Amino acid sequence: MKILIAVKQVAALDEDFEIRADEKDVDEDFLLYDLNEWDDFSLEEAMKIKESSDSEVEVVVVSIGPDRVDESLRKCLAKGADRAIRVWDDSIEGSDAIAIGKILAAVAKKEAPDLVFAGVQSSDHSYASTGISTAAYLNWPHAAVVADFKYQPGASQAVVRRELEGGMLQEVEINCPAVLTIQLGINKPRYASLRGIKQAAAKPIEELSLADVGLSTGDVGAGNSMSRVRRMYIPEKGRAEMIEGSLAEQAAKIIQIINEFKGA
Amino acid sequence: MNNPKEITRVLFENFQPQAIYLFYAIGYVAIAVFIYGVYVQLRKYRRGKSDGSWNDLLHRFIDMAKTMVSHRTLVRRDKSAGRAHGLIFFGFVLLFIGTSTITLEYDILRPLFGVQFWYGNFYLLFSLVLDLAGIGLIVGLIYMMYRRKWLNLPKLDYKRVDRQVGDPDFDRNQYRREDWAFLWSFILIGVTGFVLEATRLVWLSGRPEVWDYRIWSPVGALLAQLMQLIGLTAEGASNLRVGLWWFHGLLSLTFIACIPYTKIKHIFTAATSLMFKDPLAGKRLPRVPDEQKTAGYKTITDLTWKNLLHLDACTKCGRCQEACPANAVGAPLSPRDVILSLREFANHALSAKEIPKEAELDIHGKDIGQVFMETLWSCRTCLACVEICPVAVEHVPIIVQMRRNLVEAGEMEPLLEKTLQTIHKTGNSFGESKRKRAAWAKELPFEIKDARKEPVDVLWFVGDYASFDPRNQKVTQSFARLMHHAGVNFGLLFEAELNAGNDVRRVGEEGLYELLASSNIGTIQSCDFKSIVTTDPHSFNTIRNEYPDFGGKFEIEHYTTKVKQLIESGQIKLKKKLDYRVTFHDPCHLGRYNKGYDAPRDVLKLLGCELVEMARNRDNSFCCGAGGGRIWIPDPVGIEKPSANRMKEAGQIEGLQVFVVSCPKDLTMFEDALKTSGFEGKFIVRELIELIDECIEYEAWEGLPQAV
Repeated sequence: MKILIAVKQVAALDEDFEIRADEKDVDEDFLLYDLNEWDDFSLEEAMKIKESSDSEVEVVVVSIGPDRVDESLRKCLAKGADRAIRVWDDSIEGSDAIAIGKILAAVAKKEAPDLVFAGVQSSDHSYASTGISTAAYLNWPHAAVVADFKYQPGASQAVVRRELEGGMLQEVEINCPAVLTIQLGINKPRYASLRGIKQAAAKPIEELSLADVGLSTGDVGAGNSMSRVRRMYIPEKGRAEMIEGSLAEQAAKIIQIINEFKGA
Repeated sequence: MNNPKEITRVLFENFQPQAIYLFYAIGYVAIAVFIYGVYVQLRKYRRGKSDGSWNDLLHRFIDMAKTMVSHRTLVRRDKSAGRAHGLIFFGFVLLFIGTSTITLEYDILRPLFGVQFWYGNFYLLFSLVLDLAGIGLIVGLIYMMYRRKWLNLPKLDYKRVDRQVGDPDFDRNQYRREDWAFLWSFILIGVTGFVLEATRLVWLSGRPEVWDYRIWSPVGALLAQLMQLIGLTAEGASNLRVGLWWFHGLLSLTFIACIPYTKIKHIFTAATSLMFKDPLAGKRLPRVPDEQKTAGYKTITDLTWKNLLHLDACTKCGRCQEACPANAVGAPLSPRDVILSLREFANHALSAKEIPKEAELDIHGKDIGQVFMETLWSCRTCLACVEICPVAVEHVPIIVQMRRNLVEAGEMEPLLEKTLQTIHKTGNSFGESKRKRAAWAKELPFEIKDARKEPVDVLWFVGDYASFDPRNQKVTQSFARLMHHAGVNFGLLFEAELNAGNDVRRVGEEGLYELLASSNIGTIQSCDFKSIVTTDPHSFNTIRNEYPDFGGKFEIEHYTTKVKQLIESGQIKLKKKLDYRVTFHDPCHLGRYNKGYDAPRDVLKLLGCELVEMARNRDNSFCCGAGGGRIWIPDPVGIEKPSANRMKEAGQIEGLQVFVVSCPKDLTMFEDALKTSGFEGKFIVRELIELIDECIEYEAWEGLPQAV
């Protein structure tokens, strides 16, 4: 069997970052890239299936992104993924989660996996919809926010527990192939030692163009997305002030503030 | 005067030829058993990985001989045991040379060449020396028996801290039995030797060439006269002698046959272990060859022959356990037990004709002979064990090699894992932005040069704790001001400096270490400077001892040496003397690792401080508990921290005012321990730099910002 894992290289903000001149994103100089935290868990979940299975299980990681993403893919290979695929074309820049889902679905059609895992969300953009849109384009069943997973390789169904509000779990039977978005804490992700990452450099990362997955520039990019970023900015902070003094002084101060707000 | 040729000792007199043949046959069997045992041992070592310690053999041999003759390593921190061992050692060596001399003449030179020399004055001197040697041996052995039986030394208790009562290898009673069997058989050989000598004198008391010269074997003569006093006749002595002769002879031959199978083998293994001692053991950890697939030690066959030899050298003296800071606070680690476990494992797995399957060679785990991961993670890599081991066992490199395997398998504290990931991501253990590394310098009233952009004399490698820890930043600023005031032309690497990697390497994350080291080496090599200085002993060690292995050979000094020089040359003028009563804590990486014991003490003296040493000082300094990456692993609650243990030691010094450190991690650890162990208000913890700072009158404009 085969498990396809959609991973993302997310950006974290450095101290004292600056917004790009076009105000649509943070200046890239101030971004630190790393594998999305959720993806560690979905990869681990796939590795658990692989390692406990008697039959052959192939774990393939896929990511949409430029060259720098190879570093994160190599980390996945170091942890035991069999293959890595990276899809990129400059026209993909600006795609929203739905457009990315379209590309992932195209890869899934090509790879024909039994399961597709994605993280519940990415820590930088937090749309939480990439996995779901992938399922939609594939027209496969999906389960979101999976906190527990039981599956016999080769079975036609899997049992998942989904995390709901208030600490509730929902147990769902789902037909395979299916798309699952994996929640943090479902397992304990393994550590990828630096030597492992270095050695994984020997494993090839398959680079695919849009044409390779049967798409064209007309399918992706900001222009072909359902949503577009208008502006990214830091909101003005609210004010807080400690009022000191005797009770009477404090009361007087509060009255003064209220009057100021009323515009008196 | 008798014919000197007649003055000698009888050999096999009155023996039937059959008896002599029998004795020789038994002798050959004993030697065969001995040789087979040696072969099995050597085969075991050959099953280990290769090691490049074959260089400079003559030099190594001379060093080993010096160590053995002086007994230098044995008298350290245990004079009586060392001296008693000296008596046994020299007694045994002389007696062995004596017996070999007889063999040389009787079995080789005389039958083959007719050469004879074992008679006359030579014989008499020989006899006297051997009597004295025998006395030495017996006295030494008696002291060792007394020591084992009555001194109740904790280090001679083999009960294990990492096992539970009831575990099969918990108390290691077989070792105790072996110790006693060794002592008794050895002392019996010595005692029967003397009695034998006495019975020979009584038996041959009629021969003047024997009896008249008895004073040359004083112990035998004394015993002989006692025997005569209680009425032993020459004939009685002759009869008694035959039985004793066989007993003594057979016991001695058994002893020889047993050497490679019992603790007696330390005669050879300890000596060779000393010979292959690595002076940089633990200070410069071994590289992982690029072509090697997995890092570190997983199976017993991953150990090198040198490691396997070290395992066999251990004499269980327990000095490492006594010095170990982890052991002192009740952590499940005794360096001795790690060595003994692996030794038992190696003996079990590698002494058989065929090596067992790979799965049975795993040295990690909970079974007999395996080492717990909790044990390995308890180590602070402070090198106290390596330092004190009298036979040059190198515990720390083995522990780190085993940790490398644990890291590869991800078997470590989650917090440590997080820290390693943080260091990989940001280049520092604080998870701070690279840009903030030199943020402390912004508050100074002068600019510090960027060594990447302009040439400097001194390149200051700051290190993580001195760069990012708020308390240490104050010290870092003081040091910057000090260097500036002294007119030193210095600069920093700013955001290009990464964690030096010393502790990352000691954790066992070799890949990350390689990344950090090669990045730093590249950065440093691109700068124009004369020498490096650092306030951080950890960075100091790895740059000094380990970067050369990665192509980075740099001149580096710890700041204590630099400052001492600046004061002595007058570049720093001390305007005031301090009259503090202080004690000094040797940081492991400055002291034991790099022998920088004197510079900080000299500076304290120059400042006018009264230095009172703690009991554990210099090479016996007690680790603060932060080494080997333990600063990133929380200590278990409920048991004492090594730093608190150290505070108690300092607290015993009457009127102590300042506990002086010269390491950023020490400052953090001990300021914390001062509060938690209840000495707050009694004395204070200070960086040496802060004391120097007090003695310098800075111009107003050089002042530091108040709120840091």
